[in-house]
Amino acid sequence: MLKPKPKLIVLSIDGVPIDLLKRLMQEGVMPNLAELASHVGIRSMHSVHPTVSCVAWAGYSTGMNPGKHGIYGFIDRQPNSYNLMLPNSSNLAAENIWQILSRAGMRVFGLNVPSTYPPKEVNGILIGGFLAPSLEKVAYPSQESDYLSSIDYRIDSDAQLARRNKRAMLEDLDITLARRMEAMFHYLQKDNWNFFHTHIMGTDRINHFLWQKMEQGDPEFYHGFRDYYARIDRAVGKLLEQLDDNTPLMIFSDHGFCALKQEVQLSRYLVQTGWTIPAETIKHPLSIEPSKSRAYCLIPGRIYINLQGREPGGIVPLEEYQQTREQLTNDLLKLQDPDTGSQVIRKVIPREDIYWPSTSHGPLDLPPAQVATHDGTFGRAADLIAIPFDGYDLKLGLAGKTIFQKTQLEGMHTYHDAFVIARHVDLPTDNLEIMMLTQAILKKLAVEPPVDMDGIGKAVTPVF
Amino acid sequence: MDRLDELENQSIYIIREAYYHYKKLAILWSVGKDSTTLVWLCRKAFLGNVPIPLLHIDTSYKFPQMYKFRDEYSKKWNLQLIIARNEQALSSGMKSDRKLECCNALKTEGLKQAITQHGFEALLLGIRRDEHGIRAKERYFSPRDEEFQWNYQDQPPELWDQYKNQAQEKTHIRVHPLLHWTEKDIWYYIKRENIPVTELYFAKNGKRYRSIGCVPCCAPIDSQAGTIDEIIQELETTTTSERAGRAQDKEDTYTMQKLRALGYM
Repeated sequence: MLKPKPKLIVLSIDGVPIDLLKRLMQEGVMPNLAELASHVGIRSMHSVHPTVSCVAWAGYSTGMNPGKHGIYGFIDRQPNSYNLMLPNSSNLAAENIWQILSRAGMRVFGLNVPSTYPPKEVNGILIGGFLAPSLEKVAYPSQESDYLSSIDYRIDSDAQLARRNKRAMLEDLDITLARRMEAMFHYLQKDNWNFFHTHIMGTDRINHFLWQKMEQGDPEFYHGFRDYYARIDRAVGKLLEQLDDNTPLMIFSDHGFCALKQEVQLSRYLVQTGWTIPAETIKHPLSIEPSKSRAYCLIPGRIYINLQGREPGGIVPLEEYQQTREQLTNDLLKLQDPDTGSQVIRKVIPREDIYWPSTSHGPLDLPPAQVATHDGTFGRAADLIAIPFDGYDLKLGLAGKTIFQKTQLEGMHTYHDAFVIARHVDLPTDNLEIMMLTQAILKKLAVEPPVDMDGIGKAVTPVF
Repeated sequence: MDRLDELENQSIYIIREAYYHYKKLAILWSVGKDSTTLVWLCRKAFLGNVPIPLLHIDTSYKFPQMYKFRDEYSKKWNLQLIIARNEQALSSGMKSDRKLECCNALKTEGLKQAITQHGFEALLLGIRRDEHGIRAKERYFSPRDEEFQWNYQDQPPELWDQYKNQAQEKTHIRVHPLLHWTEKDIWYYIKRENIPVTELYFAKNGKRYRSIGCVPCCAPIDSQAGTIDEIIQELETTTTSERAGRAQDKEDTYTMQKLRALGYM
């Protein structure tokens, strides 16, 4: 008799912090997850720096730190210019987990996982998510768009709507989730999958736009917020019913969340402190005057030295790289909340302390000149990564008038408190971070990981 | 009967059906190769005298070669040409620095205005199933609602040559006589019939346009194909999509809008 191939199911839920989840489980909002967690436990997990979904999911997809996979944020610089680019999966410098498993002959499925658009060719079906522009382009193989159209599948909820009308946002989130779950159950039955991963994005959105209303027990939105999580729990219940109790399963988030006190227009602060001189007309976040700017930043908290020989109009000599980074760090740490006087930036991390290049498995002890001029994906990292205190969300705002502002956003991402619930999957016991899940999945499916992959027992991102 | 005759016959049948059913009918002519082929088929269907007006939605940003072509052939073929422009949007300075909005205002809104102004019940369009995965679900007679939305889930059945051609008030029907053609079919037919198309499709200095529209939003492809035969040969081996040169800009604009709404821009 043939031995059945191993199977692993993943359901990821974007931006859900472990404390919120525990509370909702205790209060009976998420009974199915609570039941599962009572058997297999629940753990917290570290995310990535900077803590945004595209970087976290690129880390999960590749099992590597950003220095290797090359995705550092939603926007980046085009090489050798001050032009903006919008990275997507085609900029990922390594194979993703669906490709790795496909090579090993596994049948794979992915639905809505960030950083998978445009979808790569796999042995199965890969349907991109957030930022995929249309159903006709979202799926590999492309014929899947016919099924998705037939159920009126929505790739993503509408964040513009969220800024205008929160009631309409909730309705939109519900429909998006319902169609997503319909697609998930449809595909679950369709094949004998070895690896099946579905992602829910709406929790990140509801947390961004309703976090404080939830915390304050807002009469209009408190229940809407909890209902949304309850709906997810019902889908989890249905999923558990369809799987037998021995099926390896992971449910996890990519980062946590906290209340947002202030949005910090960091580009504006760099302008005020004289580091960045904006161009005469500001068209985008990199519209700077290179001949006068010593540094500039991209969202969130990614600060670049305008280095001679590396940047097309660089003015900071290589010998001054380290000293410039130190001065800049001092200035960044001085930034204070005008209302409370409290410090905004908790830590400024040099790139080599949290990123490392291909063929290494952990931070390298490199002299500053080598750090500054390193090639490859590592060399495209920001020179400094500013980590804010919880509550201060680092934004751009090159053209902004003020450094601090408050908009419709009520919640922001946190690094230290993602969650994992894992059944029959062995995870590292210490220092768990999202990029370590990949090796654990490969191990469970008995597939040899690529040699450059980070993860268990080797590469650990230092905690600051 | 060869394949091109078969394609032609079916298209002419649909064009005549549409003309029979709708009093207020127009042909949407973008001046590209597909809609020009459609115009050619209409000329054949009505023996050289097209009794249906041609509607050109003019964004003012089309290639100069396209305007020249439009004016030359509408005269030569004795066509009733209606040129519609969303003047209000144009005078407010709408241009391609905001691509999605620009397309919406100048194309979609411009078309809506023209439909209302002339009371068109139905439009003939040169779209083809092979342009996009999503167009695989299109029908030859395809209703649009008041908001121009196309409801995938409520598609009338089309069996053999039975078409649902009645629509409710405030909606209009889009008729797609070329739905079953492929990009290559179009070029084979253009070659056989010697249909004129603008010079933009033919390679100059190693570049040609595979799909044309507004100047700021179209990119040429690398190509040495200077003749129809060379284009057909190129299409035999290409692995990129026909509209690839037109999509990227809009895709970036879409991504930026999305990121802005989420506070990432």
